[in-house]
This record gives sequence, C-alpha cells and structure tokens, in this order.
Amino acid sequence: MSSAAALVDVTLRSLLGRRRILLMGLLAGSPVLLALLVRFGGGRPDASAVLDNLVLRTVLPLVALVVGTSTLGSEIDDGTLLFQLVKPVARWRVAVTKALVAALATVVLIVPPMILTGLVLGRGDQIGTTLAGYALSAVAGGSAYAIAFTALGGLTRRALVIGLAYTLIWEGVLAGILEGTRYLSVRQAMLGIVAATTGDGGERTPLAPTVAWTIVAVVVILGLVLASLALRRFQVRAPD
Amino acid sequence: MTAERGDRSVRLSPGVPAISVDHVSRWYGNVVAVNDVTFALGPGVTGLLGPNGAGKTTLLHLLAGLLAPSAGSVRIAGRTAFGDPGVYAQVGLVPEREAVPGYLTGRRFVQTNAVLQGLADPGAATGRAIATVELEDAADRPIRTYSKGMRQRIKLAAALVHEPSILLLDEPFNGLDPRQRLHMMGLLKAMSAEGRAILFSSHILEEVERLAEGILVVFAGRLAASGDFRSIRRLMIDRPHRFTIRSSDDRALGAALLGHPAVFAVDLLDGRLAAQTSDFGAFTRLVAPIARSAGIRLFELTPTDDSLESVFSYLVGR
Repeated sequence: MSSAAALVDVTLRSLLGRRRILLMGLLAGSPVLLALLVRFGGGRPDASAVLDNLVLRTVLPLVALVVGTSTLGSEIDDGTLLFQLVKPVARWRVAVTKALVAALATVVLIVPPMILTGLVLGRGDQIGTTLAGYALSAVAGGSAYAIAFTALGGLTRRALVIGLAYTLIWEGVLAGILEGTRYLSVRQAMLGIVAATTGDGGERTPLAPTVAWTIVAVVVILGLVLASLALRRFQVRAPD
Repeated sequence: MTAERGDRSVRLSPGVPAISVDHVSRWYGNVVAVNDVTFALGPGVTGLLGPNGAGKTTLLHLLAGLLAPSAGSVRIAGRTAFGDPGVYAQVGLVPEREAVPGYLTGRRFVQTNAVLQGLADPGAATGRAIATVELEDAADRPIRTYSKGMRQRIKLAAALVHEPSILLLDEPFNGLDPRQRLHMMGLLKAMSAEGRAILFSSHILEEVERLAEGILVVFAGRLAASGDFRSIRRLMIDRPHRFTIRSSDDRALGAALLGHPAVFAVDLLDGRLAAQTSDFGAFTRLVAPIARSAGIRLFELTPTDDSLESVFSYLVGR
C-alpha cells in the first residue's frame, strides 16, 4: 500500500464512520423513492424537472457540502488529522488526496441514484441523452462543490454555515436573478453542461459550454490550491 | 510486558543536537504561551515539568512542528521543525489530547502510520510495535472499544513503528495502570540506552524523578531551569539545604555544628536534629569530622529537600 492509498483508505473510513454521511446517503437516495411514488401513483412524470430541481439544485449541493466539510474540517475538529500530518508526507498531498476522496464520495453518492431516478421516470428516445447530460453535469458539479467545500473546511470552522449560505442565498437567489453572478455559480455551470448535452436550456439562456467547463475547472483547481494552502499553514489550536 | 528491543538504527548525527530551541516565543494574541525559551537536548530521557498552563504542551507542539514559533527557531536533528515534513522520519509523537481514530482497529491504525512513514515492510513493523506495547490481543478491535490506557499504548505503538531517533511524549503515563507505567518506563529507558532522545511531559514528579536523566522546568511560559535536578538544587544558594541527623547526642552535635560558618540553623524536632546549611557539599564533608572530634556517634544523615518535588516547588513557587 502506498502512502496515497493509506490516506484514501483512512479518509474514506473516517467519512463512512460519520452518521451525517449515512444521512446524506439517504438524502441522495430520496429522489429514487420520489420517482417510484410518482411513477406508480399515476402521476405524469417529468424526468428533467425532477433531476434539475430536486437533484442538481438541492440534493447535490447539500451532499457535497456535508461530505466536503466532513473530510478535512471534521478531522481537524476531532484531532484525528494530526497523526496523518506528523509523517514525512507533504501536506499538500494530504490535502489534495482528501479533496479528491470527497469528490469521489459525492459522485458515488449522487450519480447512481440520479440515473436510477431518471430510468424510473424517463420515457421516450431522449432519456438516454438526458441522463448522460445530467450525469456528466453531476460528476463535474459534484466534484467542484466537494473540493471547494473541503478547502472551506480546512480554512474555517464555520464551513458548514458559509457553504449553506453560498448554496441557498448566492446560488438559490442571487445567481438566479442577477446576470453577472452566474459566473460565480457552480449550479449555473452544471445547468450549462446539461443544456449543452441535451439541447434543453430551460427558461433562461444557459451558460455556454466552454464557460461552464471553465467555471468547473477554475473551482476545482482553486479548491485544490486553497485546501493545500490551508493544510500547509495549519497549526494546532491554542490549548484551552 | 517486555521491554526487550532488538538492535535499532539510531540516525542522530554526532555534533548536532537532537532538539535545539533558540530564543523561542509563541503567543496567541496578547497571551504569551512560551516566552524566550532556549535549550538543546541530546540523547537520553528528559522530563518536561511545569504546572498546568505553564506552556508544556505548546512547547511540545512547537518541537513537533505543529506550531510555528512567533519568534526564535526550533530545530529537530538540525532541520527546521515547522514546515519540513522530512523531520518526521526521525520523530515520533505521542500527543496527549488529540484523538485516535476510533473507527480503525489498533492494527490498522499502526499500519497506516507505518505506510505513511514509507517503511519497506509495514506489516512486520506494525507487529513489532504492537508487541512492544503488548496489545496483540486487542490489536484487531476498533480503537473506540479501547480503555484510556489502551489508547495511550496504541498511540505509543504508532509513534514507535518507524523506530524514531527522537521521541516526544505529552503525559504518556496518563491512563496507564501501575504495571503498564513500569513497562513504559523500562521501554523508554531501553530506548534512551540505544541513543535516542526522549522528551516527555508529566505532572507526576515521582515518575520524572525515576526516569529522567535531566529535567526542563517551565513556569508561566518561561524556562525556569534545565539539567540534572540535583545540580539545579545545588545552584539554589538562596534556599537553605535541610538535613535531619540521628546521632548518639543530637544536642551536643547541634551545638558543635552551629560553630561552623556553613551551618546557620539547627533545631531539635521530634527527637531528631535538623540542620540548615547554605553549602550542601561542605556540610556533607564536615558533619562526620565534627561528630568524631566531639566523640559523638553518627547514625543517620538525610537531606530532606533534595528531592525533585522540593526543587520543583522552589522553582515554581518563586
């Protein structure tokens, strides 16, 4: 086992051992339950509406927020990060590994239930393209969110509150009504990727695919750099 | 528990102090936790003493590279402690408060440490370290099921797995039962004999007195004293050295001793003669000749404030 594999192993075990991650697993699976209720309850299912409003806009950011802040921030809070730091391993490697584990965990939690939800609800020839678009968007957006929130967890103890404010206020309200703020929104980038794949832009003009992918790339790179800097500058807290 | 250890390579370079602290201060806002501390340590066991809040843990965190000094420099085996992960190949740390991951088994925890240290055979090193702390029976249980003493021992195993040449331990005896304490003492002594530098903090003076070859006393963030505690006591010339004496005629011996300039007080207490002197060495040399010349038989001469406890109380009580 390499040191990177050991870090992945201990980070995953740490994540899976937290109750909040189990709750996030249930949250991520809830769209499937909803889809089954709609499908067999006689409703007129609209796969795109559920995947867009419920999964991409609501469930995905919440899951990424909890996973991201649990990865580095919680390990700092409970002191279990320390034994990983007092090793001849560069701190940026520790930070990048943990951020990538958070991204992977978010994608694994979100994408399979999302595809299942689409399959339960979807009809017609276009469902394959629709699912591919949403899955691609969820992989990109989920990774960007999770890495950004991992960095936030390394930078501040209030990562959960700040992350929640960002997703609810900035992305939920401001990015929807103020044109310029869309370029600082992962959600708008995800919708741009969906639109580019499916050809369905919804009510508003979506971000161009190059802009959307650039936003995702910038958030991922910036998140990895900030997580590395946060851990490089990390010092144990003052004794009480 | 066995304290046997095989031959271990110790990589401390001759001429370079294992630990070198040069005018180090660390403050948090307006609070000064460590104030202008300077010392150097080589191989051997050193006890870090001080009252609660004196700055012991902050000092250990500075040495472990987990805190950057606000002023001064901390070097471990000649390398800057903070910001250089390479130093951890030579350092083992047993922190007091930081949690061990309860979701891992003891074996997995130690093995993860071995892998992160880049050891060639992490499995074998893990087995040796767990055997050293005698936790083989519980090694495959999750750490969350461990008692405080077992957690302490698994932390020690993780710190020892790469056989470091420098070992930093924060209150390592906390939670250990008397037998485990004895074992830990034997283990640390054996490691010291192999040429390793060991610094441990403790609030139990008896343990420090039994184990440490030297002490560092911190008080209110400052280094109050360092070195062998008996030598430190000798240097405290403003504090009289106290002895109790039993002899065939305590009253006559007291009168005879009082005639010597090094003796400035004698007292008869509970049937024993108590004497105070400003010069420890001179007093121990003069008692026997004085008693002999006065025709008095000397049965017992005991220094009563030469213990680490009295040295410590003098230092922190100033």
